[in-house]
Amino acid sequence: MGPLGLLLLALALIRGAAAAAEPGMEYQVKAVFLYNFTQFVDWPAEAFAKPDAPLVIGILGRDPFDTYIDDVVRGEKAGGHPILVKRFRDIEAARECQLLFVGGADARRLDSVAAVLKDRMILTVGDSGEFSKRGGMIDFITRQGKIRLQINMETVRAARLTVSSKLLRLADIVEPGKG
Amino acid sequence: MGYQGKGMDKARQFLPSGRIVLSAFALSIGAARAGDASSLSTGDLKKLSLEELMDIEITSVSKRPENLSEAASAIQVITQEDIRRSGATSLPEALRLASNLQVAQLNTREWAISARGFNATFANKLLVMIDGRTVYTPLYSGVFWDAQHVLLEDVDRIEVISGPGGTLWGSNAVNGVINIVTKSAEKTQGLYLAGGGGGLLRDFGEARSGGKTGGNLFYRIYGRHVDRNGLVNADGTDTHEPSALSQGGFRMDWRRSEADAFMAQGDMYGSDFQAPGPGETDLNGQDILANWTHAFSPESDLQAQVYFDRTWRKAVFTPTVAFTDELKTYDFDFHHRFPLGSWQNIMWGAGYRWMQDEVENFQVFSFLPAHKDLSRFNAFAQDEIALLSRRVKITLGTKLEHEEYSGFNLQPSARIAWSPDTRQTLWGAVSRAVRTPSRIDVEFFAPTPPYAAPTLHYAGGPDFESEGLLAYEVGYRVQPMQRLSLSLATFYNQYDGLRSLEFADVPNLGLEFRNGLDADSRGAELSGDFQASSWWKLRGGYTYMESDIWQKPGHTDLEIPFGKWDDPAHQFSLQSMLDLPAGFEMNVSGYYVSSLPDPHVQPRMNYSAGLVWRHRGLEVSVYGRDLADDQDPEFGSGPQREEIPRSVSGKVAWRL
Repeated sequence: MGPLGLLLLALALIRGAAAAAEPGMEYQVKAVFLYNFTQFVDWPAEAFAKPDAPLVIGILGRDPFDTYIDDVVRGEKAGGHPILVKRFRDIEAARECQLLFVGGADARRLDSVAAVLKDRMILTVGDSGEFSKRGGMIDFITRQGKIRLQINMETVRAARLTVSSKLLRLADIVEPGKG
Repeated sequence: MGYQGKGMDKARQFLPSGRIVLSAFALSIGAARAGDASSLSTGDLKKLSLEELMDIEITSVSKRPENLSEAASAIQVITQEDIRRSGATSLPEALRLASNLQVAQLNTREWAISARGFNATFANKLLVMIDGRTVYTPLYSGVFWDAQHVLLEDVDRIEVISGPGGTLWGSNAVNGVINIVTKSAEKTQGLYLAGGGGGLLRDFGEARSGGKTGGNLFYRIYGRHVDRNGLVNADGTDTHEPSALSQGGFRMDWRRSEADAFMAQGDMYGSDFQAPGPGETDLNGQDILANWTHAFSPESDLQAQVYFDRTWRKAVFTPTVAFTDELKTYDFDFHHRFPLGSWQNIMWGAGYRWMQDEVENFQVFSFLPAHKDLSRFNAFAQDEIALLSRRVKITLGTKLEHEEYSGFNLQPSARIAWSPDTRQTLWGAVSRAVRTPSRIDVEFFAPTPPYAAPTLHYAGGPDFESEGLLAYEVGYRVQPMQRLSLSLATFYNQYDGLRSLEFADVPNLGLEFRNGLDADSRGAELSGDFQASSWWKLRGGYTYMESDIWQKPGHTDLEIPFGKWDDPAHQFSLQSMLDLPAGFEMNVSGYYVSSLPDPHVQPRMNYSAGLVWRHRGLEVSVYGRDLADDQDPEFGSGPQREEIPRSVSGKVAWRL
């Protein structure tokens, strides 16, 4: 018979079995954070092809949000730009977004993200715990079951993005260049 | 798979972690009770400030509407808040809150509990687990409810799944699965003291203390003692069957690193039940369990669990006539999850259980041989496939199990769920489950040889095989508005080879168990939660079922004419949780159960009501139970049938 740990795993299964709609609380909250970033970060005008071009939130690789993030940004705008969500399989295709979420902790991927997107006006967001130290900009860190933000100001400045002080005040600032 | 926690979050999620406390929810909805942490809508989340977003606990799995809206099965969840506000004093009383269960009290210690029918004193189609530890007895594939106790204060939630769960949980998860999940020790820090008493619940005292050492090791210890009075006879006189229970235990949760989490827990209990005259039942038991979760990545982890459980009981009929049973269970299980490509999730695992069952027989009946070792091996694999932007999920899996009596059993299932948007899910499933033979099916003798009467005696059936079920389910879950969630599950079950009691072929050999019955059943389960306002919550349900049972050609069952299973066609339940000013709560829970056909039991409508006053850590409550009538029978027939009287009890609890 197969109970015990299976009870717990089965919970996961049941939860996973039909999880088409809602991801867990963690990624619901992260999705809302991504939306908030579009409101608390200023992109230079050159980041958009046209003044009314969409602000594209890209999700690179595995998508932990399911369709939840689409619901979050539906009908929303950022500085006159309608917000759009696109999924990308590889980093080359992801150059045309304004905000890029890179989930997971694949180190090679992190490095290639940093290399390919270097100096582009793309706000990169990850949740590996290493992301902001390895060339990414904002990292979701989970501490005591709650989300903390880590922001790498060097890379943010290099991309000519402006982060609102409201956001900076709540984040841990990392400056990899300074040790 | 939808929710992919990070590293340790994932690991903690697999451990029965505590109930979510969504302070942000309280901020936005204005409800200050943790139990209200139902799903925050997208709109609610977006309204939160960054600070509030950073204050949300993201690691818990116990968020009811979220789990429920996603689940491709007929799952109902009883939360800690539901239990507390129902005034339940035992596990079976708490299980009455699940409208997809049939729950009937027989006497002060015994209950008949089943899902989707086939309820009986020795109901055998429901799998029950407490923190992953199976609590069924191989004597009859059922649950000795008088030996299953928890400190209800520390229960995080009870998940009641009606319908087969054999693919994941293995045999015996035929008509349903009950998972009792206690809180993580991290969520039970501090002191809890409670005591009280009254009518049926004569007196009780409970204590729990939780603490923390170092940064990440949390623990709790608890103890409790409960004295109950007996129920009443049909004429209203006391049955004189008091019971006493003492129990204690511990739990530790250790987050060693982002990747590794450990949990250990143990319990011990002793109890005795007096019967009129010289009769009594004594029992005691101990269990210990350890669990390790290692997260490789957010999407992949390995979990291993091991436990030992010993339970002993002695039923004394007269000073010289007694039956004892000692069961020792050793169990090991592991499972591993990982993604395959970007749209598949694989889970596989295996487990081994060894049960040593030793009875001391007596003249009236016996299990032969008296000592039996039962080993059981299982392996399972499941693939979850996400299609169409993850709006459709298909889950295919099977369990392969090998056990003593019936050899190999296969329990496959296929589930599909379609979520056109975040508020609704349509699901369907086809699954097979089996009840493997238990000792009573094969090794039972009454009377015990050589006391056998010359012509009429019972015996286990040497050729008894697994009872099988093929179940078809369709369900729909919807959250039409933020405050209302509804679930409808329908089923059509086909049973094959249910146990029959028949004349043995050889003349004068008496009666033996065979697989002589087939059956089918149909039904629907509707349940819902409604947060009428920030101070009033309602939950309720309706269950309908009907079944047909027939004899296979060449078989004649001798039990059917005497009422083999006894199920109501209709069941309603409603629980109201009302917050009043000045820290008062008014809680009412009621139910209606239509008549039981055979043995006949009148339809019963009953309710309990409680008034609670909470001030800081102090809680004072008075509950009246079964208030509708002076007394009511719930199950069975005959002059021995006991009835449940109206009763009142009070409780004072202090949480520090």
